[in-house]
Amino acid sequence: MAFSLASPRTPAAAIRLLADAPRGDVEVLAGGTDLLLDLDAGRVAPSRLIALGRLPWRTLRRSGGDLVIGATLPLADLERDPRLPRDLPGLFRAVRAVGSVALRHRATIGGNIARASPASDLLPVLLALDARVRLLGPSGARELPLPALLRGPRETSLTPGELISHVVVPVRRPSAYLWQRVRPSNDISQVGIAVARRERAPYWAVALGGVWPVPVRLPSVETILDAPVPGDAQVERAAQEAALRAPFVTDKRATETYRRRLVAILLRRAVHAVAGAPQGRSR
Amino acid sequence: MSGPIALTVNGRRRRVDAPDAERLLDTLRWRLGLKGTKEGCRSGACGACTVLVGGRSTLSCLTLTHEVAGASVTTVEGIGREAVGRRVQAAFAREGAVQCGYCTPGFVVALTALLREPGPVASAERLLEDLGGNLCRCTGYAAIRRAVEAVRREVD
Amino acid sequence: MRTDAPAKVRGALQYGADLEAEGMLWGALVPSPVAHGRLVAIDAAAARAMTGVRAVVTGEDLDRLLPKGGGDPARRMFPSDELTYRHQPVAAVAADSLAAARAAAAAVRVTAQELSSVDGIEEIFPDWPGDEGRRSPHVVAHVHARRGDLEGAFASAEFVLSQIYRTSGVAQVALEPHVCLARVEGDRYYVRTSTQAPFAVRSDTAEILGVPESKVVVEGSWVGGGFGGKASALLEPYAVVLAAAAGRPVRLGLSYREEFLLGRSTLPAVVRIDSSVAGGTITGRRVRLLLDAGAMLPGRDFATGFAIGFLAGPYRIGAVELEGYAVRTHKPPFGAHRAPFAPQCAFVVESHMDAIARRAGIDPIDLRLAHAWQEGDETPLGQRVGPFGLRAALERAAKRRSEWRADGRGTGGIGVACGFWSTGTGAGGEVSVTLSRTGVRIVEGEREIGSGSVVRGLVAVVERLTGLPPAAVRLEYRATDAAPFDSGVFGSRTVGALGRAVETAVRTALATLAERAGVPEVGLVYEAKELRVRVRGRARPLATWLTAAERKDGGLTVRGRHYGRSGAFDAGRVLDGEFYAYTDFTASVALAQAAVDPETGAVRPERVAEFLDVGVALDPEMIRSQMEGGIAMGLGEALTEETLWAASGRLGNPGLLDYRVPTLGEIPPLETETIEGYRGAGPFGAKGVGEPPIIPVPGAIANAVLDATDAQVPELPMTPERVARALKPL
Repeated sequence: MAFSLASPRTPAAAIRLLADAPRGDVEVLAGGTDLLLDLDAGRVAPSRLIALGRLPWRTLRRSGGDLVIGATLPLADLERDPRLPRDLPGLFRAVRAVGSVALRHRATIGGNIARASPASDLLPVLLALDARVRLLGPSGARELPLPALLRGPRETSLTPGELISHVVVPVRRPSAYLWQRVRPSNDISQVGIAVARRERAPYWAVALGGVWPVPVRLPSVETILDAPVPGDAQVERAAQEAALRAPFVTDKRATETYRRRLVAILLRRAVHAVAGAPQGRSR
Repeated sequence: MSGPIALTVNGRRRRVDAPDAERLLDTLRWRLGLKGTKEGCRSGACGACTVLVGGRSTLSCLTLTHEVAGASVTTVEGIGREAVGRRVQAAFAREGAVQCGYCTPGFVVALTALLREPGPVASAERLLEDLGGNLCRCTGYAAIRRAVEAVRREVD
Repeated sequence: MRTDAPAKVRGALQYGADLEAEGMLWGALVPSPVAHGRLVAIDAAAARAMTGVRAVVTGEDLDRLLPKGGGDPARRMFPSDELTYRHQPVAAVAADSLAAARAAAAAVRVTAQELSSVDGIEEIFPDWPGDEGRRSPHVVAHVHARRGDLEGAFASAEFVLSQIYRTSGVAQVALEPHVCLARVEGDRYYVRTSTQAPFAVRSDTAEILGVPESKVVVEGSWVGGGFGGKASALLEPYAVVLAAAAGRPVRLGLSYREEFLLGRSTLPAVVRIDSSVAGGTITGRRVRLLLDAGAMLPGRDFATGFAIGFLAGPYRIGAVELEGYAVRTHKPPFGAHRAPFAPQCAFVVESHMDAIARRAGIDPIDLRLAHAWQEGDETPLGQRVGPFGLRAALERAAKRRSEWRADGRGTGGIGVACGFWSTGTGAGGEVSVTLSRTGVRIVEGEREIGSGSVVRGLVAVVERLTGLPPAAVRLEYRATDAAPFDSGVFGSRTVGALGRAVETAVRTALATLAERAGVPEVGLVYEAKELRVRVRGRARPLATWLTAAERKDGGLTVRGRHYGRSGAFDAGRVLDGEFYAYTDFTASVALAQAAVDPETGAVRPERVAEFLDVGVALDPEMIRSQMEGGIAMGLGEALTEETLWAASGRLGNPGLLDYRVPTLGEIPPLETETIEGYRGAGPFGAKGVGEPPIIPVPGAIANAVLDATDAQVPELPMTPERVARALKPL
């Protein structure tokens, strides 16, 4: 497990280091809270790590209707933003659902996205909020909708030498993130569901974690919900559709069957929470 | 290899010549002899190895020493240099929040960091929620809760 | 305040994990790659050639490294042929650094012929076995006992309730993993280790190495939690042979992953329980237990014959039959874990009691009160029950339940459960106590493991006996070559047995002084940091009553010993196997309120109260700390903790992310109350308090879930998915 560590100070230097290294021989260290576990377990054995901690991407700013989050911003800094709980309640809750305070001091939003974990608590909310990622690589910058980046566990469509530089999240959309865990605190979610509502049609965005191989949007569910305040029957149909369509599997955290039951329950609760629960029972 | 680096540990400047792959936990314990920082799960899930890096609680098992080159590190051995840390230590001892004591350094460091955050002191409820990453297997957290509530009243 | 707390909050004490020695090497174990198989070859050439590697030891090297004849062949350190669980150590490595040792261990090539493994008990016995059970090669222990006319009771019952419960394996999760440091000097082996029982480690290590106990010296360190997992040797023999091979001290510790893979703890069980009821009375009970013993060696099972008694419950029942099998599987051997298997037993019998109460239309507490043991009652094996505070505890629980119902602070169901335990005062111990000018010094061989039983418990005995302040009493820990013998800190026995030894020693010293002073009795006082003797109301210098030799030795030294006796049971009721008598009867009752999400099945405890029969409360603060810690651990076993054993002996969750112990957020407000007046075998009638608090908690949560939902969850832990399935089949 001997590797050398490079801590470039400019994006250009980081990209050059990354592009020059033989594939599979280099890993990017963002917060390291997953990567170091992989190194310990021998799941990866690079000879070089490129740490992003010194890049000028520990930033958070508002631009137009967007929140622009630097990829190496520790989750704790995002959580401490005084406007986040009001602007993006779903994202705020999802950030606080990741690990512990000390872990969030190192874990970064870019690292979390690039890991593309099926159980990520952040990805469902970012998907539901139509987040976009800005990438920087040897051939310049580009911006992608988040779903175009995610391929599967630890797999993204980043090209060799390419890094996530920023995450762009439209603000002021009512959103909610609900999850179920065996242990309520500090556990990995069996199912996580994020919903967000836009001001005009199509109104609803619904995204899921705890799926395989990577968190996804559920367009058919969104279509069924198509009203600012959907009726109980509509929500019920959407819940059934979610239970049917969600790409669940059985693993050590939950069976597929239980996950299907859960997603219907959590979808109802999340939609009612965002829609103000005028018809449905508020929980 | 990146060569030797400098760290300020508990207020003292230290020169460390550690391999790039070394964890801050191992540097503190085996290179600097600061064994008050405990090794538990070594995977970020127990909080026993919590130290302050630049004033922020940090899991030293998931931190490469070279990543924090130049930073100021505070361990349980140095946490009592300031009043808040001393109050936390006193409250833990007084309220019976210490049994085997293996999780204690992590709790003391993590709580001190929370109490020293800028702005108004967080509610006891929020403090307890934010200590969720520190596991204790002996106390059932009841005495820890009492210690947190007591020290919060003192510093507020 | 505990005397160890100020140093612990500063991180100033040396735990096993902190041990270090000049020239020390780091050890690592080479694991079996299969759960079951034949060892074909070990190729260590590549590992030996690696930089920094100082020793590689396999089974073939043992004869060279250890005295001739070496060791108990049944307890070989390294298997010579059959591999019986995955990760079983087959070789060990010592190197200059931990990284080098781990890399070398990974480079040792182990060739094994994999054989089919037994992964679970129900693979062997999908149904309750008939005669084939006793003949099965997979059975390592069978116990069977009966009392009364069970067939008659079942035949004449208004109803017979038959249920099956399953429980999962749980792990101790002491935050400090196992670790030790060994060195060899001449023909003596020195081991410093994080242990609950230095003398047990000495005898285990000597037996495994095949040397006399006198050749092994064990010194305890401060211990970062034990919970039963550090009560016998695990790593020490390996560290010794590595030190012998390398000629240097070797530190051998487990990673936390190995802690789960190699540690010994509670394994799964299936329990069938049937009770007959007539006129509101339980007339008969049959308990049939299948316990996963892991790779337990025949003859070493302790759990089946001990635990099965808990499955009948602390209740007067006319006819009882107990039968259990310990079934060998290819998991690590079953091991002790805070009240081994008793919380699981109480979950079963207490869930069953509530099911009976519902069926019979009786309040759950009333049903228990009507059957609860009192002093003089008989256990199923015919042992007389000693002073036992169960009824008093139940009455307190009933009162608290009414208050809870009235105060509206919880919304969930309320459940009650009973537990009982026998403090292990049968395991004996000795101390040496010296009265000197500077105070009372207790020389003993136990390190504090966290519970306070040593640093506070032993001191509290002296305080109570003499009225001296704690500052007048000093504990002096010594290694096994210099300390008086003691069995270890386990079984809630420390204050009960070693505390009695302290009591005896101090009483003897006082009697000696009284005799010399020519008075019926003397007292001790501590003034201006000086210990003085009070004779006829006047404090005099201690030296006045000491002999010249004692003055030269620094004081009056007296040995105290306590080897308690177990009660006796009626051997005529035993049909097969080994049962154990109880030494002491301790009751604990838990009352829990828990809200259940009717859709997701998530259970949220709202509050837990516990009522503990302590005999006499020697130190209320320490008792509360044991109760609170036990309740929290019980909540973990109730709701979230389980080892996920999968096919081929693989463990699905060897880490703290997926083996879920409670965090601060999972623990609701806790209430603790003690019941005094039912004397135990400890000093002044004290009973042990380390284990009883955990026992009734899972059962109380189960019954709160039942109260909230009208559904029983027949399995531990009661995860949201299992509860959801009980509420509505998936």
